[in-house]
Amino acid sequence: MKNKIVVLFSLLVVASMLLAACGGGTGPGASDDAQDSGPFVAKKLEAADCDSTGIIKAVEAVDQYTVTFTLCQSDPAFLSKIAFSPFAIYPEEWIERTAGEESRTSEGLEKPIGTGPYMISEWKRGESVNFKAFDGYWGEQPLAETLVLRWQSEAAARLLELQSGTIDGIDNLGPADFDVVAADSNLTLVERPALNIFYIGMTNTFAPYDDVRVRQAIAYGIDQQRIVDNFYPAGSEIATHFTPCAIPNACAGDAWYPFDPAKGRELLADAGFPEGFSTKIYYRDVVRGYLPQVPNVAQDVQAQLKANLNIDAEIVVMESGAFIEASSAGQLDGLYFLGWGADYPHVTNFLDYHFGSANPQFGTPHPEIYENLEKGSQIADPAEAEPFYTAANNAIKELVPMVIVAHGGSGTAYRADVTNPQASPLTNEQFAVSDPGGRDVFVFMQNAEPISLFCADETDGESLRACDQVMEALYGYEVNGTAVVPMLATACTPNEDLSVWTCTLREGVKFHDGTSFDANDVVTTFTMGLDASSPLHKGNTGVFEYYDYLWGLMNLTPAE
Amino acid sequence: MTNQTTSTVATLDAEAISLESVSLWRITWRRLFRRKSSVVGLGIIVALLLIAIAAPWIAPYDPLQVLIGIEDVKIRQAPCIHMLGCPQDQPQHIMGIDGNVRDQFSRLIFGTRVSLFVGFSTVTFAIVIGTILGALGGYFGGWIDNVIMRVMDVLLAFPSLLLAIAIVTVLGPGLINALLAIGIVSIPAYARVVRGSVLSVREMEYVSASRALGGGTFHILFVRILPNILTPLIVQGTLGIATAILDAAALSFLGLGAQPPTPEWGSMLGSERNQIFTAPHLVFFPGFAIMLTVLAFNLLGDGLRDALDPRLK
Repeated sequence: MKNKIVVLFSLLVVASMLLAACGGGTGPGASDDAQDSGPFVAKKLEAADCDSTGIIKAVEAVDQYTVTFTLCQSDPAFLSKIAFSPFAIYPEEWIERTAGEESRTSEGLEKPIGTGPYMISEWKRGESVNFKAFDGYWGEQPLAETLVLRWQSEAAARLLELQSGTIDGIDNLGPADFDVVAADSNLTLVERPALNIFYIGMTNTFAPYDDVRVRQAIAYGIDQQRIVDNFYPAGSEIATHFTPCAIPNACAGDAWYPFDPAKGRELLADAGFPEGFSTKIYYRDVVRGYLPQVPNVAQDVQAQLKANLNIDAEIVVMESGAFIEASSAGQLDGLYFLGWGADYPHVTNFLDYHFGSANPQFGTPHPEIYENLEKGSQIADPAEAEPFYTAANNAIKELVPMVIVAHGGSGTAYRADVTNPQASPLTNEQFAVSDPGGRDVFVFMQNAEPISLFCADETDGESLRACDQVMEALYGYEVNGTAVVPMLATACTPNEDLSVWTCTLREGVKFHDGTSFDANDVVTTFTMGLDASSPLHKGNTGVFEYYDYLWGLMNLTPAE
Repeated sequence: MTNQTTSTVATLDAEAISLESVSLWRITWRRLFRRKSSVVGLGIIVALLLIAIAAPWIAPYDPLQVLIGIEDVKIRQAPCIHMLGCPQDQPQHIMGIDGNVRDQFSRLIFGTRVSLFVGFSTVTFAIVIGTILGALGGYFGGWIDNVIMRVMDVLLAFPSLLLAIAIVTVLGPGLINALLAIGIVSIPAYARVVRGSVLSVREMEYVSASRALGGGTFHILFVRILPNILTPLIVQGTLGIATAILDAAALSFLGLGAQPPTPEWGSMLGSERNQIFTAPHLVFFPGFAIMLTVLAFNLLGDGLRDALDPRLK
């Protein structure tokens, strides 16, 4: 029955997309021409009060090149968040034109218009996304005239293409290939810092994981060092805390449990499982920086559980989408393999997402954790916020909502003549600043095809990397680093308690379609992303996950 | 075929006719042994069967045992054979170490059990069901035949592996479900063979005689007709084992068949496919084992077909 509904729904979506593609093109477009030339009419997005919104109360164009963000609370991570790819700015007219009826039109999903150094020339489905340099770019022109993004899920095949010289760079080297690339003088190896976490999740609403002693027992019974030594590349480390220690306050509080199977068995016996129990290990066979060899790690954890705790675990491989849906809704009754890569380098990006009061991923959230997180997130000074993060980290250790395992190092490889080879810790490499040995075309190969190129409503790294070449937000991250740098804003300055941020915009910036960038584009972009009641709030799935998680949606109508 | 072999067959036939007591099976057996290729095939199969039965005594390690902390070996270590110059102080692993630090040779040995089990069980399943369906269709004819054979046509219309994948997707991944899927997709081949043979046999005098003597339908079908149509079924079955092993390996390669940590050749190959350049031994040995087994059954199947072919009598 459920399958039928899904099929019916997908047919409806396809039909509506067709309708939108055929009928939506001409209507509203014609009347908007006057906007560029006419006098500037400032736009504003505002929630009635802070109860009907998340963090952002208002986004307002003060004049043509000034925007203010009024928040319902202090937000010290504002700049790091605003720089993140999904919050890139689209032209106002384009947002309206491609909104579509049910979801964004195919133009909206496949050919985004931004201000970035490259513009989309063609997305050949199943093959590549092609970009060409944007002549009117406000910054430095890209070094290669054409950029091609390709994909291949097999690490060996990616490396083979690189070695044969048909591509210039690849993402996510296989762990065994690090030495091969390092020894090859024709190639450059770039190691990506381990700004991520791999954890073994559990849902505390399912027995036996409702017993904290069982969860602690598993933490004692998993040998993190053995997993990192055998299945992770150089540059990886065992996790002592959920958040990698390079981030301020990440490692406040006690370090994780030592490997002690005897203690684990004791706890299991106390919990009423002296003989162990049977469970399942769920995972998706998808390579991520935090988990480079999924099946091997799964089999090793399976063997460890059996040997150390006498737990019989059956391995269940799930389709990626179904796995994410089930795990994030807290529907998996066994252990599951998941991880997180930093979107922006702040402790809230790791802890608040996973252990916040509204996340059902690990079952019932623990107030001991989220109350401290809520207090900590509103304090700008890391030193002042430290006690809250110490308490939160200690509560995570005590309550074991999941078992942390490793911060995985990963790597990219390039042909030796590619300048400025990057392996961004945030996985948003900027190819415009790399010169492929004087060739006109720069070809980069990643793991998978983008889902859509409308990244305001996407979350996966493969889509975001494609968008990062085309789109820009008010701030961005420095090339190959995590520090924020001004992009479409020349500066955003806060008031004293960090609750009102005023951004001065860069003047003379053009979008790929030739229109000029101004404050109304910013307001309209945020209206599209935040305002759930707006007709512009249409995306690929319509969830706008990052807008929702990082800011909280506005004017949500209660579910019918 | 050369003149020489034809003449061999001719002499053989002369021999067969002169010795009236020699049964068809003995003739077949002798013909089979005249062909080198089928002897090789049979030899490999016998060897594989022995390996499968004696796996615990041949394999130096438990196929599921992770050697981390037990021996000084590295993940995906290349083969170490003392006779070929590997230092004596290193533990011997003649096919190297796999991606989970287990002994590859032991896994390969135990994998023989899985593959042979898959081959024989799916073909047995398919032969039993296919024979019943084909025999019913062929003997009764009419609408029963129509219904059964059209369903078989539908099954045949799909590429077998694709249909097997679809069935496993519905049933869920796992070795037993994969067996079932492969069994189901191989039914039509047997049903058609049996139906065709039943059609040609059912009007023969001895069947009419049996009917005239008051033999019941069941008696005629399974006691009179079936033993006389076994020949094509045996050939089809032997070749079918090869296909079944290959399909099961393919399903496991795709992660739909045997689930880890079961040592199955297809899944061993699949899980280490990205190491084809860095650790080729992990891909070569399981691949070679699959090839050898499939080749053996194909050689034997071809030999049986020639040996049993009535046109060569």
